[in-house]
Amino acid sequence: MFGRTAAQLVREVNNDDQHIRRFNYDLFDKVIAEIQEHFQQVTTIMEKGQEENEDGQITSVDENYNGAVIHHQSILRNKRCLLAYMYHRANRLQRLRWQLGAVLPEDVKGLLHPSEKEFVKSYSEALSSYMTKLDIDLTVDITPPKDPYIQVRVLDNIGEVLLGDQSTSLVRNSIHFVKRSEAETLISQGLLEEFTG
Amino acid sequence: MDSGNGSEDGTPWGRGDGQGDDDDNNRDWGLKDIPNDVEVLKRVWRNEKSAPEILAYESLLVERVQEQIANMEENILAAAESLDDMMLSIFEMDVNRLMFLLRAYLRVRLSKIDKFALHVMRTADLWDRLSPQEQEYASKFVDVLSKHMHDSVLGKLEKEYESMMKQAASSEENDMIVEPNLDTYVFCRSKTALGTFQLDDKGDETVDMMPNDLYILRYRPVRNLIETDRIELV
Repeated sequence: MFGRTAAQLVREVNNDDQHIRRFNYDLFDKVIAEIQEHFQQVTTIMEKGQEENEDGQITSVDENYNGAVIHHQSILRNKRCLLAYMYHRANRLQRLRWQLGAVLPEDVKGLLHPSEKEFVKSYSEALSSYMTKLDIDLTVDITPPKDPYIQVRVLDNIGEVLLGDQSTSLVRNSIHFVKRSEAETLISQGLLEEFTG
Repeated sequence: MDSGNGSEDGTPWGRGDGQGDDDDNNRDWGLKDIPNDVEVLKRVWRNEKSAPEILAYESLLVERVQEQIANMEENILAAAESLDDMMLSIFEMDVNRLMFLLRAYLRVRLSKIDKFALHVMRTADLWDRLSPQEQEYASKFVDVLSKHMHDSVLGKLEKEYESMMKQAASSEENDMIVEPNLDTYVFCRSKTALGTFQLDDKGDETVDMMPNDLYILRYRPVRNLIETDRIELV
């Protein structure tokens, strides 16, 4: 109560790592239940206060009203914590979209709340539509380019891929000299890795 | 009012210069030195990176740069057989450099839109600084985000607390909208002497802006100078 459970939720997202954890349905529902409880309290106190007002005009601050303020503030605190939790997770999902591309890996999808899955889909759509309107792919070229071509090693058998204007067959462990922008998408999908040395 | 003349300087592609167009989106970048579009884009990108709020969209610059990139790529393909590998890779590096700058510029703007979408939509000047595509993206983003918040959290709360912009229906203003902090400090430099410049309303603090000196100031007082392009952020 009074925001303590919500603080636990926030602590969960307050870490520096990149991965998304499983959505904490338990804590989340608990906080929502607490909010209902607080709201009950607020309404009861306000009603009680109203009754007394009809009897005699009470001009001084009734002690019971302070309780209402505390419950109201707890609700605000809980709301803020819940929104912060959702917002931080949403930010991580956005970052994943930039790193991994339009399709989220299945194991990440399993950790998400259904509303988050919707969010990922619609965000990805909004982003792709913006990029197609400008005809520029913004998710490549994240670091300033040093060389136009890089050497890559193939990690998985992909078969024939169109690289530049030639299609090359990518066999596992073969090394190719390709253009950076084309390699980047495949690297982020984990199919190629940069070959240094 | 000159019309821009691309100077052919012996390279396989003409370098467009930033001078000439007199529309409101493009400004006179200085008649004495004629920077080419790459320099202009670099400067615009640096400004956008350092400024806490979103700056005006340089639509003409972006268009010219895209044209230039297309021309350069065409020229590379056309000249591919007659040049040796090293020259080819130098030209390709040039194209990559320009593409990177353009992408980085658009990315910085997108990230600011993502952070401050609600605020930008409700403030007319900031909204006007967005390109039409960015405006579309911003409205979609706000919709997507509000739907997400409503479905997961706000829908489960009482009517009093269900707004995404106000803490409670009884709050006086929209206190939940994130706004950029205009009082943050930025590094800036001006090319010409701007004279004594007042830093706040009371006239207590003033700063003498000398050309090419680096200053660290709060962003809010120098906002106008950036818009009229007399100062650049570093």
